[in-house]
Amino acid sequence: MKKSDVRLFSIAKRLRGLQTVSTIAKTFNIKERTAVNYAWRLRKEGYLTTDYARNKIRWYRIDPLKRKKSGYDLYELLNKDSRVKISTREDYIIHADKEPSVEEVLARAIDTKEFRIVLASLGLFNKIKNWSRLREFADKYRIGRQIGALYDVARRTMKVKRMDERTRKALLKSKGGKFIIKNFKSKSFNDVEGKWRVFIPFNKQDLEVYEEWSI
Amino acid sequence: MVNIEEQEELFKVIGKELNEKIECYAIGGSAMMFYQAKADTKDVDLVFLEKKGLEKVKKILEKIGYVDKKELVKIFRRYEDNKNRPIMMVGKNGERIDLFFKEIITFEMSDTIVSRVKEAHEFNNLIVKIVSAEDIILLKCATEREKDRYDALSLMENFDIRWDIIIEEAVNQTKLESYLFPVYLFDFLEELKEDFKADIPKEVLKKIRKISEDLLEKKLGKRKK
Repeated sequence: MKKSDVRLFSIAKRLRGLQTVSTIAKTFNIKERTAVNYAWRLRKEGYLTTDYARNKIRWYRIDPLKRKKSGYDLYELLNKDSRVKISTREDYIIHADKEPSVEEVLARAIDTKEFRIVLASLGLFNKIKNWSRLREFADKYRIGRQIGALYDVARRTMKVKRMDERTRKALLKSKGGKFIIKNFKSKSFNDVEGKWRVFIPFNKQDLEVYEEWSI
Repeated sequence: MVNIEEQEELFKVIGKELNEKIECYAIGGSAMMFYQAKADTKDVDLVFLEKKGLEKVKKILEKIGYVDKKELVKIFRRYEDNKNRPIMMVGKNGERIDLFFKEIITFEMSDTIVSRVKEAHEFNNLIVKIVSAEDIILLKCATEREKDRYDALSLMENFDIRWDIIIEEAVNQTKLESYLFPVYLFDFLEELKEDFKADIPKEVLKKIRKISEDLLEKKLGKRKK
């Protein structure tokens, strides 16, 4: 290993995980311009990959081990299709023969029962291509009514494709719990809650993140 | 020896056979392979927090040709004293899968270890969570194989090890299963520093030494009384 490679490796080791230009600058007490140069060199050597958060803020995922990817990261898939980006402290890798479809990612995201992830999942409703496939996953995870209710909430906040009547009726009849997230109830969507017999975990203010893309 | 592809294949087979979601934790060489800090391992180590999950996986392994090796394999220090030995399943080519229930000999799978997990891998119904590099080092100190020293060394070289976590967990273990855990940890780290020239800060060793001495004093004091 050359001396410069060793230095770069130790930088990658210190920065392991998610970073932004400002956190890199803070870690090494350098200017942001220099931090961008660090990121550029780390990327060139394969230690760094870039993601985009809201407002086009760049996130750098840094790993000193230059790991070969296997499987599909659920949260990466969610971030790829949702307008609201999330950063999780745990990676969840799915080892499957095929990349999980948007319908599967949506159902899995709601099934996590985590506030930020369920909120980010709303953005996926506009990407659904196959409503019957979504119904299949809803049955698999027993979250049919939750999906239906969240769809209605999404439709009020942003531009969303129309769900076919057959799927809607099937979701209304499906079984499952009352809560999407345990003990979370809404003050803003009581009519949706009543219709689907499910408690919505968001208030109107929570959905302001989607406002830029609203109807 | 098992490499990462073979390990993933094995997990996929187990996951397909399981009829419900079962969670387990990969430790040791198996976890290091997920981090790509190691090319292959002699044994795949999995820890279960529920007996039901362990039994189910054991049954599947038997179904696909693994045999439960009942006799003792001396890998761990203080092995004889402990009743909670792993189930050692041996495959046709000699590859071994060790299944632990909550404890790894004298080391308990604490809530803090579980909270430090940053990676979960789903193989159909089998969810394998990977313990942190710090916790792998802690677990390595319970063994007496030379290759485990090299594994710990490799982790120290490739990861920015948070020594405060190691010290905290060592102290945490004294409240759980192993009262003298910091003493063994001190032994292990000092050996790594002296014989393998590992990059371990002096203050860390000093701190663990102090904790160990205090624990020993307390224990001996109690006996005298």
